[in-house]
Amino acid sequence: MTELKRLEDLDALRERLGTERKRTLRTLTVCGGTACQASRSRPVAEALKRELAEQGLGDVATVRVTGCQGFCEQGPIVAVEPEGVFYCHVGERDAAEIVGRTVRNGEVLEPLLYRDPVSGEKVRTLDHIPFFRWQERRILGQNHLLDPCSIRESIASGGYAAWQRVVSGFTPEEVIAEVKAAGLRGRGGAGFPTGRKWESCRNAPGDVKYVICNADEGDPGAYMDRSILEGNPHLVLEGMLIGAWAVGARAGYIYVRHEYPLAVEHARTAVGQARELGLLGRNLLGSGFDFDVEIVRGGGSFVCGESTALMASIEGRVGEPSPKDVHTVEQGLWNRPSNLNNVETWANVPLIINEGAARYASLGTDHSKGTKIFALTGHVKNTGLVEVPFGTTLRTIIHEIGGGASNGVGVKAVQTGGPSGGCIPARLFDLPVDYETLSEAGSMVGSGGMVVMDEGTCMVDVSRYFLEFLREESCGKCVPCRLGIDRMLEIVTDMVNGNGRPGQIELLEELGDTVSATSLCGLGKTAANPVLSALRYFRDEFVAHIEEKRCPAGVCRALIRYAIDADRCTGCGVCLTACPSEAITGSRKKPHTIDPGKCTRCGICRSECTFDAVVVKPREDARAQIHPRDDRRSHAAHA
Amino acid sequence: MLKYTHVTIDGATLRTPKGQSVLDVALEYGICIPHLCHLPNHTDMGACRLCIVEHVKNGRSTVTTSCTLEAKEGMVIRSNTDRIRALRMNIAELLVAEAPNSKAVQDVAVRCGVKQVRYPFRNKDCVLCGRCVRVCRELWGANALGFIGRGMKRRVDFPFGVRPDSCKVCNSCIDVCPMTITPCAGPMLPGREYLCGQCESQLSMNATVPDTCVLCDLGKGFQCARQR
Repeated sequence: MTELKRLEDLDALRERLGTERKRTLRTLTVCGGTACQASRSRPVAEALKRELAEQGLGDVATVRVTGCQGFCEQGPIVAVEPEGVFYCHVGERDAAEIVGRTVRNGEVLEPLLYRDPVSGEKVRTLDHIPFFRWQERRILGQNHLLDPCSIRESIASGGYAAWQRVVSGFTPEEVIAEVKAAGLRGRGGAGFPTGRKWESCRNAPGDVKYVICNADEGDPGAYMDRSILEGNPHLVLEGMLIGAWAVGARAGYIYVRHEYPLAVEHARTAVGQARELGLLGRNLLGSGFDFDVEIVRGGGSFVCGESTALMASIEGRVGEPSPKDVHTVEQGLWNRPSNLNNVETWANVPLIINEGAARYASLGTDHSKGTKIFALTGHVKNTGLVEVPFGTTLRTIIHEIGGGASNGVGVKAVQTGGPSGGCIPARLFDLPVDYETLSEAGSMVGSGGMVVMDEGTCMVDVSRYFLEFLREESCGKCVPCRLGIDRMLEIVTDMVNGNGRPGQIELLEELGDTVSATSLCGLGKTAANPVLSALRYFRDEFVAHIEEKRCPAGVCRALIRYAIDADRCTGCGVCLTACPSEAITGSRKKPHTIDPGKCTRCGICRSECTFDAVVVKPREDARAQIHPRDDRRSHAAHA
Repeated sequence: MLKYTHVTIDGATLRTPKGQSVLDVALEYGICIPHLCHLPNHTDMGACRLCIVEHVKNGRSTVTTSCTLEAKEGMVIRSNTDRIRALRMNIAELLVAEAPNSKAVQDVAVRCGVKQVRYPFRNKDCVLCGRCVRVCRELWGANALGFIGRGMKRRVDFPFGVRPDSCKVCNSCIDVCPMTITPCAGPMLPGREYLCGQCESQLSMNATVPDTCVLCDLGKGFQCARQR
């Protein structure tokens, strides 16, 4: 491919590619996101290609392996364009039939269609599936239009058009004004207005400036940045080009997690292709503007997603945060003004330029504009990536898009924002999702993780999980984060193990406040959120753990015992053979019993029993321990 | 030419050469801000968080460490509000529970008003203040010590655990370590740590002026910048 020297060259290329595209009648898009690849979508794509060649339909239809389309639950996904017929759970053996019947004759294969779990009906096209119907897929929707490894496909479907517009008629100030008017806020978690950040970076003294893309996504259960970078790396590059133009940077970095090999590969390919085509490098499109991007792989630390730690890591130092009394837009990477934005923020920029700030800002609430991608996981029927406008209620996301709880029991709470966020109880599900509302509720939008928890979840145990995660990921530099989180974990572990003492809830609150007020970086400052929000909404569960030595959800092993309901037990013996510690006794066709002395409360018998005869009961001997052991008592000053 | 700047700390407007940190200014003028990891004439890393102050800006106050905050013209700082004292006490409590056997840490805890420790004691040898690492790197340029590991596994060690040739056994690291002074009542055995509280008498005279340095002996263990 020849290098593009002028603006018109890009126009001509786009037109040529567009006509080439129109020649094929149908396109089979196979989702090639990490989740679908794990459920073997690559062989499906190969089989489809083979079948097309064998049946002589090579010029009628093409196969396109795309990035993540969002509905990871149903993978591998194959969609037939332009009709939009949507097949899920496609295997290699279905390839012949898809090619033979759908591609050749336009027939729809009933067995492969998505079945709505609520109504039980088969749904033909993507737009009619409830999971997609409530979404506004402005960023993710572009994923299925193109092959992430091909810059030609990206250009053909409108890639780099926004960059072209910027070069041909925008001053940097105008770009910043446009982004400001659109009301774009950082999608990485803090929600800082992007336009204002760009402006301070532009106004910061210094002639060498950097733009950085933060793709060090590490929240448990969150993967929207990965899906964008894997599925549409050119969109991110285009956003960075526009941002670099606005702040006056000539070099950019994409800091991507080492654990995302596919994202690294696709980003590398994209940068290589863009360089080859003259979209990165010197004198871009004849504008006299130079810009190039380098890919840096993260070293495997959660805290490297924090801006100062990330920049330290790029510089080759240990990825540890440093005090932010001077902002990174003034002194960041190598002490130069640096503008760091999240992948999703960058991906939103071309959209703003293409459709104009006013149209972009028409979606969303007063202070949060546009759409946000959430990774919906946990106890819901439909898990996957969900892109909704700000202001959508949690109920819509969880019950309409997510399809409600997966286990038949009610939804108890949703954890938003990952380890920095908090738990929001079901009674607050009518809250609209935006930056302010969620932070008032004690949580945050964060990077967009959304973990749904059903009634069988113990909030004390969830708090313990997040504290454990944060303790592992804390860099250990400052005292409140290193020791404070550890002590909080110690207290919560005491509660889970039935050693909780009165006064510990208050201590936990005080400690949480100290950690969030005095920690060095964002990790510590938000580390107490999961615990504090759990205490705010589910205080009675903590009290039950301490005062009654009882776990209301029946999760904490030290506080429960398993028993067999004699009325329901048929004496089938399944639990007896399944029990790894041989704690169950009984003869066939007679109710079995569990020996509490041998039982390790692993819960295998309960999951094996088909008659729901194994029940969880509070443990009586845990209550006997209500008085704490002496050696753990606090030490008075004048001992 | 020396340029001056003015900051207001606890209501007093103080003149100071440019480039000083707020902690330096406060100590210079005899305002007591407890600190541990701060080492005069070395880069501050803000590890111990004891020197936190409230920085009032646009009517909103943010809590930040004074050692890493550069004094700028017109800055308004409050170093001794109820909130700061409560937070400082909690941090000191965390520290002393970690290393009750250190005189310096005990003294700091007393100065911050810790009378009771609500966590089980741990009796560690190091609180990771990083003074040794900085003195080795910045004063001698030896770079023989560094932090290794992350989070709870973080520790100070030689590169790859082997003493490099750049270490001349100058003992500077030992001199600045807050853990090397034997506590007054003698070392406590693991599991039998306590706070004796005898040093509290030292603070009786500054109960009326809590934010003023009274040149107490409590800073000796870690070379309080006022003790020079």
